[in-house]
Amino acid sequence: MSEFKTYHPIVNFVYFVFAIGFSCFFMHPVCLCISLVSGFTYSVMLKGKKAIKTNLIYMLPMLLMMALINPAFNHEGVTIIEYLPSGNPLTLESIIYGLCAAVMIVSVVCHFSCYNEVMTSDKFIYLFGKIIPSMSLIISMTLRFVPKFASQLKVVTNAQRCMGRDVSNGSIIKCAKNGLNIMSIMTTWSLENAIETADSMKSRGYGIPGRTAFSIFTFDKRDKKTLVCILLLGIYTLAGNLMGEMDFRFFPSMKMAEVSVFGISVFVAYLLLCICPIIIELWEVRKWKALRSKI
Amino acid sequence: MRKHKNKIIAGVIIAIVLAFVFWYGGDAPGLRGWTPEPQEDVTVVQNDEPIKEEIAEAEKTISDIPVKEENAPATEENKPQKQDGTPMTPAEKIAMAEKIAESTQSSAEETTSSAEIKQSNEEYSEEQGMVINEVTGKDQYRTEPVPEGKPVPIEPENAVITDKELTCTLSVRCDTILQNIGWLDSEKVDIVPKDGVIFAEKTVTFYEGESVFNVLVREMKRNKIHMEFENTPIYNSAYIEGIANLYEFDCGELSGWMYKVNDWFPNYGCSRYQLKAGDKVEWVYTCDLGNDVGGHYSARNGK
Repeated sequence: MSEFKTYHPIVNFVYFVFAIGFSCFFMHPVCLCISLVSGFTYSVMLKGKKAIKTNLIYMLPMLLMMALINPAFNHEGVTIIEYLPSGNPLTLESIIYGLCAAVMIVSVVCHFSCYNEVMTSDKFIYLFGKIIPSMSLIISMTLRFVPKFASQLKVVTNAQRCMGRDVSNGSIIKCAKNGLNIMSIMTTWSLENAIETADSMKSRGYGIPGRTAFSIFTFDKRDKKTLVCILLLGIYTLAGNLMGEMDFRFFPSMKMAEVSVFGISVFVAYLLLCICPIIIELWEVRKWKALRSKI
Repeated sequence: MRKHKNKIIAGVIIAIVLAFVFWYGGDAPGLRGWTPEPQEDVTVVQNDEPIKEEIAEAEKTISDIPVKEENAPATEENKPQKQDGTPMTPAEKIAMAEKIAESTQSSAEETTSSAEIKQSNEEYSEEQGMVINEVTGKDQYRTEPVPEGKPVPIEPENAVITDKELTCTLSVRCDTILQNIGWLDSEKVDIVPKDGVIFAEKTVTFYEGESVFNVLVREMKRNKIHMEFENTPIYNSAYIEGIANLYEFDCGELSGWMYKVNDWFPNYGCSRYQLKAGDKVEWVYTCDLGNDVGGHYSARNGK
C-alpha cells in the first residue's frame, strides 16, 4: 500500500498539515474518534501488523495512564462522583477530559507515524529547500533522527552481540556496562552523523542561489484533483469549526454545539479529509484487481 | 545593510508589542489602558452580550437584571481607580491595590469593624506564641504579625482536635461576580447563583481545635457543593482554588476566594485559623485582590 506516497509532495504535505493540525486542536469527541480511527487505520495500512503491535503495546497503556492522571490533578466539573482521599472531588468531567486529551495525543502520534512513512526527507527538502534551506535541512534531519537512530542501534547491537558484549550477556553489572557502551557509541555516531550530513550538503552547494536540484516529482492531473479536494475539505472543516459547529465545552459541565445539518456536514467533511489517503489506497487496490481480472 | 535593516525591523516590532501590552494592562476590572467601563455597564444591564447560551438562560437573564441594577451604583463606587486611564505593570497593579487599600482604610467608613486595629502588632503576636524572624519580620510560613486582639495562626499539624462539639456560622457568597459579570468566563455565566449566595449563612457544628478549612471541606461535602483546594507547603495551608466551579481567575486576573472571620480577613491561610465557638466565617469571591470585598489588609500585605 503506497499509492498516496506516489503523489506529489505538496499533496502529501497539505494533507498532513490539515490532518495533524486538526487533530491537535479539535477537542470534540466525534472529531477525536474520526481522527483516531483514521490515523490508526492508515498507519496499519502503511506499516502492516507491526503498527498494530506498537499501537497496542505503547499507545493503549499511555491512553489509560493519561486518562487516570487527569482526574487526580483536575477536580473541576459539576458532576461529583466520589471524593478522593485528599478531600478533593472526583468529577465525571475531569475523567472525560483526561480520556479525550489522551485520545488526542494518541491520534496525533498515529498521524505522525504515517507522516514519517509518507513524507520522506527528500520530499520535504524538495518542498522547502529553496525557500528555507537551512531550516528545512534541520527539520528533515530532526524528523529522520528517531527512525535512523533506531535502525543504527540495531546494527550496533548486532555487532556488539557478535563480540559477546550485548546487553543480554553476563551479570547485571556487565549488562549495564555493555548497555552504556552501546549508548555512548550511538551518541557519538549521531553527533558525527549530523555534522557529516551538514558538511556534505554544504560541499554540494546546498542552499546557494541559482543551484538547481534533481527531482522526479511531477504535478499531474491526478495530483491537482486530489489537492483541490483536500484543500476544499480542509477549508470547509476549518470554517465550520470557526463558526462554532465543533464546539465542545468540558467545564464546568459538558455541553456540545447544537446538532444541525451544517454541523453534520462539517463532521462529514472532516471524516472525508481524514480518510482521503485510505480512500485512495482502496481505490487503487480495486482498480488493480479489476484490471487483472480482465487479462 | 540588509542585516541592519532586519535588526531595526525586529526592534521596532518588539517596541510595538511592548507598547501594546503596556497599554492593554491586564484582564481584570480596572487594569486596562482604556476605559471600557461605561459601555460595559450598559451591556451588564442589557445583559445580552456576555451570555452565549441565550436560549436556555433566557429566564435566568431576566431575573438577573434587577440584581445588577441594584448593584450598579456600588460598582461605580468601587471603580474610581479605573478612570485614571494609565496602563500599569503588575508591580504597579499591586501598588495601586495598596494605595486604594490605605486610602479607603484611612477614610474608615467601611463596614469592616476592625479598621482601627488593622495594624499588625509584633509584640502582641510574639506574646501569643508566634515565632517571628527578626530579619524578615515574618514567621516561618511568611506570615506577618497579626493585629492586636486577633488569633495567631495555629499549625494544622499541632492542632489538638477534641470531641467537643461547638458551633459557628458559615456562608459562601459571590456577589462581586454579579457586579462584574462582563468579566466572567462566558462558560460559567449560567452557574452563578442569581443572588450570589452559594451557601446561605447557617450555623454549623465543628469540633474544638478544627480550622476554617476543616469546616469548609466538611460542609461543602455534606451539601454536595463542589470545592477544590490545593495544599501549599510554603504557607502550610490549603489554598481554595474554586467553590461551586467558580475558580480563581475566572472573573479577571485579580479574582479568587477569600475568607473572613468575624469581619476580619486573616493574613494567613485557612488551615491555620483555629475556630472558636460562635465565630462567623464568611467566604467571599473577590474580583480585585480583596479591595471590592473590604479585604484591604490582605491586599496591602500581598496576601
